Amino acid sequence: MASRRARRDAWLGYALVGPSLALFGLVYLYPVAYSAYVSVFQWDLMTPKRYVGLANYRELWSPEFGEVLVNTACYSGGVVLLALALGLGLALLLNHRGAWSAALQACIFSSYIVSWVAVSLLWIWMLDPQYGLVTYGLRLVGLPAVNWLGSPAVALWTLVLVTVWKTLGYPMIIYLAGLQAIPGDFYEAAALDGATGWNRFRFITWPLLSPTTLFLVVTLTIASFQGFDIVKIMTGGGPITSTMIYVYYIYEQAFQYFRLGKASAAVVIFFGLILLLTLAQWLAFRKRVQYTT
Amino acid sequence: MRRMLAVVLGLWWLAGAGPAAADPIVAQFWYSFGGKNREVTEAHIKKFNESQSKYRIEGTFQGDYFQALAKIRAAAITKTAPAAFHVVGEALPNLWQGGMLESMEEYAKGANGTDLADFVPGLTQAGYFDYLGKKPAPLFALPFFRSTPILYYNADMLAAKGVKVPATWDELRDAAGKLTVREGGDTKVYGFEVPVDWWFWYGLLHQAGGTLMSADGKRAAFKDKGQEALQFWVDLVNRDRTMKQPPGKDYSAWEVANTDFINQRVGMIFTSTAFLNYMTENAKFKVGTAFLPAKAKAAVPTGGTYFVLLKDAPAAQKEAGWAFIKWMTDPEQTVSLSKATGYMPVRLSAINSPAMQSFYKDNPNYKVALDQLRNAQRFPFSPALFDIQREVIQPNLEAAVLGSKTSAEIMTTADQKANEIIGKYDR
Repeated sequence: MASRRARRDAWLGYALVGPSLALFGLVYLYPVAYSAYVSVFQWDLMTPKRYVGLANYRELWSPEFGEVLVNTACYSGGVVLLALALGLGLALLLNHRGAWSAALQACIFSSYIVSWVAVSLLWIWMLDPQYGLVTYGLRLVGLPAVNWLGSPAVALWTLVLVTVWKTLGYPMIIYLAGLQAIPGDFYEAAALDGATGWNRFRFITWPLLSPTTLFLVVTLTIASFQGFDIVKIMTGGGPITSTMIYVYYIYEQAFQYFRLGKASAAVVIFFGLILLLTLAQWLAFRKRVQYTT
Repeated sequence: MRRMLAVVLGLWWLAGAGPAAADPIVAQFWYSFGGKNREVTEAHIKKFNESQSKYRIEGTFQGDYFQALAKIRAAAITKTAPAAFHVVGEALPNLWQGGMLESMEEYAKGANGTDLADFVPGLTQAGYFDYLGKKPAPLFALPFFRSTPILYYNADMLAAKGVKVPATWDELRDAAGKLTVREGGDTKVYGFEVPVDWWFWYGLLHQAGGTLMSADGKRAAFKDKGQEALQFWVDLVNRDRTMKQPPGKDYSAWEVANTDFINQRVGMIFTSTAFLNYMTENAKFKVGTAFLPAKAKAAVPTGGTYFVLLKDAPAAQKEAGWAFIKWMTDPEQTVSLSKATGYMPVRLSAINSPAMQSFYKDNPNYKVALDQLRNAQRFPFSPALFDIQREVIQPNLEAAVLGSKTSAEIMTTADQKANEIIGKYDR
């Protein structure tokens, strides 16, 4: 009886997750599997596919691809570190009830929900080396104009700054939630013991926020790894190849040069990279974070 | 909410049922013009639909030339491609040999045919391509919105400085120096500006006396003269500091150059005739135009696009697409399209008509491109042409001007890569 019932429950469970799994398979797993298939062919979307074995992967093994990996790591690392630091700083500053605090939080969060295209266009205009608002501001305080998007040494970091500006609201809100979950008694006890502000942060706030931090590291890393729109609108991977990050590289190979096989090989490697990254972070998450109050 | 849904569904039904009474053949046309030229294109599509009841063309803007090309090729795979679209000349050999394009021979000679002899020779498919000693391909493309680069200059600025319009590279360099205005470390006005771009490089390559490929199309041949062309820019930007390199990829850089010219931040630019109408309407100074300056010889590429029909489209839609293409290239439309934009009219009878002749007398700038056609250079009809343009030349020119590689290094690598690609297609 019981086993039959358990089996019926199991079927019901499968039936309930079925539609969602089917959709996931269709729009996520199937494309990834198809990319793996295309990655061993030479294909230009026009003439028939030609089997080339692992030639596409060998072709990726090049300084050009290495540069893409380095660019992506710099972009992603820069975005994650800056967004975390500034997000935490803002959360600490704004962690009290009041109209001003709420208004500021709303302002800062607003850029997070604006479209990437709008943000990119706005910043292109503000950063224009001749007429831009930022350039004007710099001149006003006597600083030299910076060629934000035109200099190969600067452009990637400009994209990092714009991305941080846009996403900052997200770590801030998550950190605020994390801060509010820390019981006030801890701070009262620490105050009684005479702990300084820094020590309260060092020994109470920061450790108790570590699940929040890890969650943010995972989500921000994955999101920034997938950065595309901002590159497409603001730089097109240039000047030269200084802002060529991974997903834009895939796009360029596939839809500018029509090298679908090579692009698909890059997709497969990307899938592996994200998988590894997620696994590593998941392991770290399991090991290090187990706080209960 | 429910009432709104009912209204929407009702409208949808009406929209579906309405035209069913007349039953025209509906075909899609994808185009790549933004801004002003988009309005001109849409207005002509509307006029075509109103001019007859047999066909109805639905136009869709699909991003710039290269974005649209990606969409076409993706759409061809999913069998959702339009019957007609227009494409840059450099992409044509590849598309033709890939079997995507419909031959127009039958259509052009059929009942609804067109007078092929009346097309401006330099603007046709035959005038655009050098078939590299092989048998020419059949007609598969008709010219639509064809252009050449020209030299635009701020006539007031040149007059104020007593600079004469440059006709050679040396004169251009000299004029750029005289027009440049510096204040401390800031350059207030640049003498010259041009997108560091394939099309203009192709012009410089031929002016220097080079060609892209050997006469039989089996080898790349641009290495030395291509380097001389690129080095000319490097010297102007980095040594003389009289040329501004507009930042941005592909057409973003073109927009920067146009904006700088209109805002009088630069005295002279190279850009397409396509912007003549836009420049004249927006500039608060006298706009002058001239041929591109010569080096070893006077030379200029042609550009803009060609109408094509997609082979995979249903026959009825191809017929509708052809009717539209034929109408758009008729003398009357070629005149109104040209006047509204600056692109060249494609029909001899249109150019020689009294109305157009008097228009040229009043607007001599519009004639410069047409006259310059006598210096037009062909493009090799090779499937490698598109890859060489997009992958080998275009993305790599910038590195020389920004100083991360020398023009010699860039052209040596480009030569090698181009030969690899040519070899791949030969196999």
